Amino acid sequence: MIFDINAWVGSWPFRSLRDSTPQQLTERLRKAGVAGAAVSQIEAILHRNAQPANERLAESVEPYRDVFVPMATINPTYARWEDDLRICHEELGMKGVRLFPEYHGYEIDGPLAKRVVAACRERGLPVQIPHRIEDMRQRHHLDPARGVPLAAIAGLVAAYPDTPIIVTNARGIAQSPLWRRTELRDAAWYADTSLAEVYFQGLDKDLALIVEESGGRHLLFGTHAPFSYPEAALVKRATLPADADTLEEISYRGAMRLGLTPESWAVKAGSA
Amino acid sequence: MLGITEYWCSRPITARYGSLEEIRAGNDAVLAAMRRYPQRIRGLCFVVPGYYREACAEIERCLDAGMIGVKLYHQYKINDPAVWPVIELCTQRRVPILVHAGYVTDPRTKAEQPRLSHGADFAEVSQRFPETMFIMAHIGGGGDWEWTLRALRDSSPNVYVDVSGSNLDDGQVEFAVAELGAQRVLFGTDGTMAGCVGKVIGASLTEEQRHLIFWGNAERLLAAQGKQPLAKIESGQEGVAG
Repeated sequence: MIFDINAWVGSWPFRSLRDSTPQQLTERLRKAGVAGAAVSQIEAILHRNAQPANERLAESVEPYRDVFVPMATINPTYARWEDDLRICHEELGMKGVRLFPEYHGYEIDGPLAKRVVAACRERGLPVQIPHRIEDMRQRHHLDPARGVPLAAIAGLVAAYPDTPIIVTNARGIAQSPLWRRTELRDAAWYADTSLAEVYFQGLDKDLALIVEESGGRHLLFGTHAPFSYPEAALVKRATLPADADTLEEISYRGAMRLGLTPESWAVKAGSA
Repeated sequence: MLGITEYWCSRPITARYGSLEEIRAGNDAVLAAMRRYPQRIRGLCFVVPGYYREACAEIERCLDAGMIGVKLYHQYKINDPAVWPVIELCTQRRVPILVHAGYVTDPRTKAEQPRLSHGADFAEVSQRFPETMFIMAHIGGGGDWEWTLRALRDSSPNVYVDVSGSNLDDGQVEFAVAELGAQRVLFGTDGTMAGCVGKVIGASLTEEQRHLIFWGNAERLLAAQGKQPLAKIESGQEGVAG
């Protein structure tokens, strides 16, 4: 069983995406062998008021609740974002939060982000921070992003070591402060398989090092579909230096423990 | 583990011109790797074309020692007349020229690589040298891949691209095939090993197109200089990495 913690639905303003509706994404992921995914609405990344996009997401994935788990996009610079978080969690059934500091205009280790993380901790919700959406080298001139600094994310993790913080779409994890700050090894941070390589530049261990030294403790399966080919993450998964138990942890059990898999999966796992 | 049977490798100087001694030392390291892994590694000779006679002599030395092509970085744009002697020599020796390339849109990256070649540069130079086998490297590592692939529309049929690079954008491989035809798209990694295997596996292609990308096209480039793949490639096995 494979669960993707890093997928999306909707439209990106700078490039046409295929398979970006819930129906299309379901079919694409199933064809690749991925049974479910945590998704958020792409448009919310650039909207000032993210909540209408969150509401649209909840409505559009409702028929696919055995496949998709909706994730709330929270903009902590916006008035009454706390209301959005409450509604997304309590009324719309969202299971986690995604933050976009470069698009919404705040520092990931600053006070606004910390307020969101503290609120998520109270609610038991994991926080996802996509390091990037697109490769900076091809960025549209209206796209402000340069990549959320991993050192700053490590600072946030240090401030909230017990709150699950998932860094998606990053490369060079083993060379970053997330891994090199050894005092964070017991913290609840995670990377994903979407853009990082098993071996950095084909030579130095990246995901391979993390798996060899921490098993599945800091790694979750993620694809960044439909921005990226999901099969790229699947080939990485297949080549990780992991035993069967660790592979299950990375593929879905870690996500399940974080509450990111569909509720029907927990029922299946409980009856198994 | 990934099924890659053959690597075409080079050791370029990436951030400056480099001395002749450094360039030769890098190529010697590749020759040593070829000797150490004769069933796995093939070499591309890196030169800085501005050295002119010395650059051409270095290419002759490396090809005579068994390398199968030339690698250029961004010291010169590919359509700069300073590169013409290298192009003429490669055409004569029937070996491909793999060129670090891309159409980068980020101001910082542009400032770092002001002479980075892109699709329009290849289209222009290939009209002057239609028989030369150019490989525009890493569509996944060179910025706006849609722009640079579209710009190749007027290029000669001997301009190839490779799919390597850390950018795993969905649709990238199919776009290259739609623009150029599968017979002009090569497999490569540029260090993104599993990701690049995955993007070719995941692309919506016919099996025949996938085989061309994984090894058929590289096999054809080798055949132009009378060479064959280092290992026999079975159907269903991934092939050659540029």
